[in-house]
Amino acid sequence: MSYKIAEIANAAEVLKKRLAKLENRADVLKAIELRALYEEIKTLPPEKRAAFGKEVNLLKQELQELAESSKQKEVSKDPIDVTAPFDVNVPTDKRPQLLASDKGSKHPIMKEIEILSDIAQRMGMEVVESRHLDDDWHMFTSLNFPKDHPARDDYDTFMTMEGFIAPAHTSTMQNRIISARKKQLEAGEPISVLVPDRVFRNEDLDARHEHTFHQHEGVYVGKDVHVGQLLATLKTFLQEYFGKELEIKTQPFYFPFTEPSFEFAVSCPFCDKAGCKVCGEGWMEILGCGLIHPNVLRMAGVDPTLYTGFAWGGGVERLVMVKYNIDDVRYFMSGKLDFLRQFV
Amino acid sequence: MKVSLNWVKELTDVKLTVDELVEKIGVQLGAVEEVIDLGKKYEGIVVAKVVACEKHPNADKLQVCTIDDGGTTPDVKRGKDGLVQLVCGAPNVAAGLLVAWLPPGTVVPGSYDKEAFKLEAREIRGVVSNGMLASPSELAISDDHGGILEIDDAKPGDSFSKVYGLDDYIIDIENKMFTHRPDLFGVLGVAREIAGIQHKAFHTKFWDWNRLAKPPLKAELLPLQVKNELPKLVPRFMAQVIRGVEVKPSSSKQESRLSRLGIKSINNIVDVTNWAMMLTGQPMHAYDYDKVKTLSGGQATIVIRHPKPGEKIKLLNGKIIEPRPEAIVIATDKELIGIGGVMGGADTEVDENTKNIILECANFDMYSIRRTAMEHGLFTEAVTRFTKGQSPLQNDKVMLLAVNSIVGEEAGGDLIGEFIDIKGDIRPPVSVHARHDFINARLGLELGIKEMAKLLENVEFDVAINGPTLAVTPPFWRTDIEIPEDIVEEVGRLYGYDHLPLELPKRSLTPPHKDKLIELKNQIRNTLAAAGANELQNYSFVHGDLLDKIGQDKERAFKLSNALSPDLQYYRTTLAPSLLDKVHMNLKAGHNEFALFEFGKVHYKGEWEPGEPSVPLEDNHLALVITNNKNDPQQGSAYYRARKFLEQIADTSDWRWVPLADFDLNKDKWGRNVVAPYEPKRAAVIVQDDEIWGVVGEIKTDVARALKLPEYTAAFEINLGKISDFKNAYTSLPRFPKVEQDISLKVPAKVTYGELFGLVRSEINAKKPKHTITTLTPLDIYQKEKPHKQITLRLSIASYERTLTDKEVNGLLDEAAKAAEKKFGALRL
Repeated sequence: MSYKIAEIANAAEVLKKRLAKLENRADVLKAIELRALYEEIKTLPPEKRAAFGKEVNLLKQELQELAESSKQKEVSKDPIDVTAPFDVNVPTDKRPQLLASDKGSKHPIMKEIEILSDIAQRMGMEVVESRHLDDDWHMFTSLNFPKDHPARDDYDTFMTMEGFIAPAHTSTMQNRIISARKKQLEAGEPISVLVPDRVFRNEDLDARHEHTFHQHEGVYVGKDVHVGQLLATLKTFLQEYFGKELEIKTQPFYFPFTEPSFEFAVSCPFCDKAGCKVCGEGWMEILGCGLIHPNVLRMAGVDPTLYTGFAWGGGVERLVMVKYNIDDVRYFMSGKLDFLRQFV
Repeated sequence: MKVSLNWVKELTDVKLTVDELVEKIGVQLGAVEEVIDLGKKYEGIVVAKVVACEKHPNADKLQVCTIDDGGTTPDVKRGKDGLVQLVCGAPNVAAGLLVAWLPPGTVVPGSYDKEAFKLEAREIRGVVSNGMLASPSELAISDDHGGILEIDDAKPGDSFSKVYGLDDYIIDIENKMFTHRPDLFGVLGVAREIAGIQHKAFHTKFWDWNRLAKPPLKAELLPLQVKNELPKLVPRFMAQVIRGVEVKPSSSKQESRLSRLGIKSINNIVDVTNWAMMLTGQPMHAYDYDKVKTLSGGQATIVIRHPKPGEKIKLLNGKIIEPRPEAIVIATDKELIGIGGVMGGADTEVDENTKNIILECANFDMYSIRRTAMEHGLFTEAVTRFTKGQSPLQNDKVMLLAVNSIVGEEAGGDLIGEFIDIKGDIRPPVSVHARHDFINARLGLELGIKEMAKLLENVEFDVAINGPTLAVTPPFWRTDIEIPEDIVEEVGRLYGYDHLPLELPKRSLTPPHKDKLIELKNQIRNTLAAAGANELQNYSFVHGDLLDKIGQDKERAFKLSNALSPDLQYYRTTLAPSLLDKVHMNLKAGHNEFALFEFGKVHYKGEWEPGEPSVPLEDNHLALVITNNKNDPQQGSAYYRARKFLEQIADTSDWRWVPLADFDLNKDKWGRNVVAPYEPKRAAVIVQDDEIWGVVGEIKTDVARALKLPEYTAAFEINLGKISDFKNAYTSLPRFPKVEQDISLKVPAKVTYGELFGLVRSEINAKKPKHTITTLTPLDIYQKEKPHKQITLRLSIASYERTLTDKEVNGLLDEAAKAAEKKFGALRL
C-alpha cells in the first residue's frame, strides 16, 4: 500500500520494520508514532483533516492485518521426529540435559507432609490422600452435620454449579476410610489412618489466611478406644514431630462429627512455655480432635456399641511457617522460584 | 460470650483467683479469648462530695470547687481544712453533690482503651486544679457528656468502681464453643457451669419463683389479641400487657451492669428485657401498647405470620427493609411491627412518653432466624441467642422474671390479665440411659457411679441410679443431651479432661499397608528435584480466560457457583494452565532457565469415579514445564528436553511416542483438553488402549504468546494412575568383556528414528548369539539435504558364556542393515 501523505508513508515504513521484530506483533498498534498521527489530526486545519484521518486509519488497518497474518504464519512450524531422543544435527554437547541438582527443590508443604506421614507410618498408621472434589454426603451428612445446621456455615465451602463440594476438611474421607476397612476391624485389627491433603475454605486471602491449604487428619477405630488414648496418641505424635517432650492441654469444643470434642494445645516447643512470638503465652493450639460420633461410625456401617474411635484434624501450613519463620501464607501457592528454591 | 465475674459471683461462690478460674474455664468449658480487668481502668477514682463552688475569677463558664474525699487520696495538695481544690466546667456542678473525682495521676477511663490520658495537677487560667470531676461519658459508663455524674448512694472516699460494680473482670469466652449450648448465652448458664467444674452444686433459684409481684387486673382493661399463624416456626409465643409504667433511665446499677457487657442502656423497660436476656439467654421484646393499638384496625392485635409481597418495615436501627418472604414477622392486623426474633420495629418503640407496654417472650425456629439474619445482615444479640436453639420451656419462667422486675422494682405499673401463652406441643427433654462402665470405658477412667451422678446433679441434671445404669434426665435448658455419648462428654468435662490417664492404644505388629500412588509420587518428587526441577503448588481453580488462552473446553470443567473471584472460578481439567501461567513471572524475576513441576488432582465433567459413581472421576496428574529465556538454535526443539525429564521417572523403552498431529482426538475426548496447549507437529502423545495418558511437547505459538512463554519452552503431563511402577530395573552383569560397534544408516527423511531404531533393535535381538545382553544407544542424527537423514547407533553387546569376536558383532549389524535396506531402503555407510 502506498500513502499519499509523506509523513504517513514514513511512519508506515518505520512501523512495518518494527513489527517484524516484535515478540507480540499486535503491540505495534500501541506505537507512539501511530498515536502521534491521531493526535495530529486535531491540530490540522479542518479542510485537511478528512484526508489525513483517512490515511491514518488505512495505516492502522494495514498494521492490524500484518499483525494478524504473521500470527497465522508462525503457527506453521516444521514437524519434528518425536520418536527420537534428540533433534537432528544437534552436536553432542548440546544434547538434552537435566538441570543442576542444586537448583532443584521439593515444595515445603509436601516435604512436611512426607515428615508427618513418616511418623504416622512408624506409629503403625496407613497414609491415604483425600479428594479435592466431593459430594455433600461425604463432606457433611456422613459426618453428622444435620441439614441446615449452622455448623455448616463455619465451613464456608466452595461449591460447583452441580452442587459438588471443594472439601473444607480432610474428614471428607472418614466415611470411606472406615467403611473400606470394616473387615479388617472385624478381624481384630484396628483402623489407623493418616490423611494429609489439600482442603478449601471460602475465605479472603491475606498474610494469615488462605482459601487453599493442607490438613493432616488421623482416624483410629477399634475396641474400647477412649479419650486417654486419643490424648496419648497425639502427645506421642507431636513429641516425635517436634523432637522433644511436650505438655498437653485440651479445651472443650464442638464438632458435629466428634463427641466429646476438643481443641488440642501443646506447650510451645520453641520457648518451653515461656511465651514467644510463635505461641504468645506459652501454648500452641495445634488441632481439633475428639471421639468419633456414634452416628459417623453407624453411617460407615460400623456398630458403635462394639467399636469406638477417635479422630483429629490439624493444619500443615502453620507447622511449616513456624518451623521456617515464614511470615506470609500466600508464598506457598505463589509459584515463586525465589521462595521454592529455599527448600531443597 | 462476655461474662461479668461480679454477676457470676451473685449467682455462685467463686473461691478461685481470676487466673485459676480462667484456666479452669479454658480446660473445662471453652477457650477464653480475653480477660478484661475493668477495675484497673478505674484505679484511684473515688467518690467525693462537693463542698463549695465559686465562679472562676478569670473565666465565665468555669467554677472553682472544693471537694471532700474523706481524706483518702494520698499525695494531693489539700487546704488547711483537708479539702481539695479543682476547676470544673460542668453546668450541673453544685455544692452538696456526690461526684466521681479523678485525682492527679489517674487516667480518664473514657480514654483508657484509646490514647490513655493521665491527669496531673495544673493551672487552669491561673487557678490550680487537682484532677477533675467526670461525666458519665468520661467514665465510660454511658454516652452522656452533658454534665458530671451525680452519684446517689455512696459516701466520700468510697472507691468509685466498687460503688458502680466496676471492680469487675469481663471474661470473653469464644462463641464457637457454645454452638450447641443455648443456655451458655446467659450469665446464669455460665455460673452454673462454673459451679459444676468446681464440683459444687448449683441451684437456679429463679426457676422456683411462681408468684407475681402483684395480682393481675382484668384483661378487659387493655385488651390484646394474639394470633399465631406459624405454629411450626414459632412453637411458643407469650405476651403480657402492663399498664401505667413510668419510663425513665435505669438505676445506675442496672446501667453499669449492662454497659460492662457491651449493652447500651436505653430506658428502664428495654433495659429489663436486655437484663433478662443477658441473665438467661432468652431474648425478649417490649412494644408500646398504645402505638400497637393505633396501628391495629380496632383492638390492639398481634399476628405472627409471613410478610405479604411488598410489605416493608422501619426497624429500630432506622433501616427500612422488605423482609424475605419466608421471614417470621410480627404484625398488627394491618401493619408490620417487628421481625420476630431479630429486631423490633421503630413505630412501636417504647419511649419516654410510653404509658402502657406489651412484653413479648417467644421462641422462634433457629434456622429461620439464621437465614433472615444472614439475608438482611441483621446480627443482633437476640439473633446470636435464638440461632442456638433456645428451649421453649423457659419462656414462662423468664417472663415472670421480667414482669416482676418491671412492676416490682424498675418501672411500676399494673399487670393486665394473665400471661397470654400460645404454645404447641412442647416436650421436656427425654431421659438418657448410660451405663457406668460405658462412661468409664470411653474416658479411660474408673469413677464410681455415685461420683458420676454427683457431677451431673451439680449442674441440675436429674439422675437415678438403676443398678449399673445412670438414668439421666437433662434439665429443660439442655437441648443438646440426646445420646449416651453426650453423658460421657458431660462427665468427662465436669470431672476434668486434664486428669485423664494417658495410655497409647495397643497395636499388633502388622505393618500398615503402603499406598502405591503416594510412594510413586514421593519417588518422582525426589528424582525431579535431583534433576534440578522445582516443585510448586497451584490453586485447584483457574480463571475461565486462562482456559480459553490454553484452548481448553471450559464447558467440561467444573465451575464454582460461589468463587471468591473470577480468577478462581474453574476446577482444572489438566495441570497445564496454571503451571504454564507461572513461567513468565519467574522469568521476569530474573530466572533464565528452570523446570517447574506439579502434582495435582484433576476432574473432567461427565467422567465418574469407577466404583463410586456418585462423585466425579479424580485423576492424579504430574506436569512439568522446562523453559529457557535464550534459545540456542543448535539445541534443537525443547521437546527433547521435556522428554529427557520424563525419561527420568519411568521406564519409557516400550512407550509409543505418537506424533500428536497423527492422533485421532475423536477417540479420546478428555485427551483433547490434555493436548490443547501443545503444538501438534512438535509434540507426542503416549497412548494406551486408544487413550491418551500422557503428552510431551512444545507449546502452540498462540498459547505461548498469550502466556508470554519463550520460544524454547516445552512441557509434559501424565496421568500417574497409568504408571504402575517407578523406573527400576536390573540386569545381571556378564563376566566377559563387552564389544562395541557403531552402525550408520542413511534413510529417507520421512523414516522416523523410532521406526529405524525399533527395526534394528528387534533384528539384533532376533539374530544375536544366545545368552548375551545388548544395549543400543543413539550417537547421532544428521540431516544435510532434505530427502535423506543419517542415523548412527552404537551397539554394546556382551555374553555370559564367552568372549565375542568383532567379526560376529559386525555381521550382526550387517544383518540389521540388510533388514533396514529391505524395509526402508536404508544404506549402511
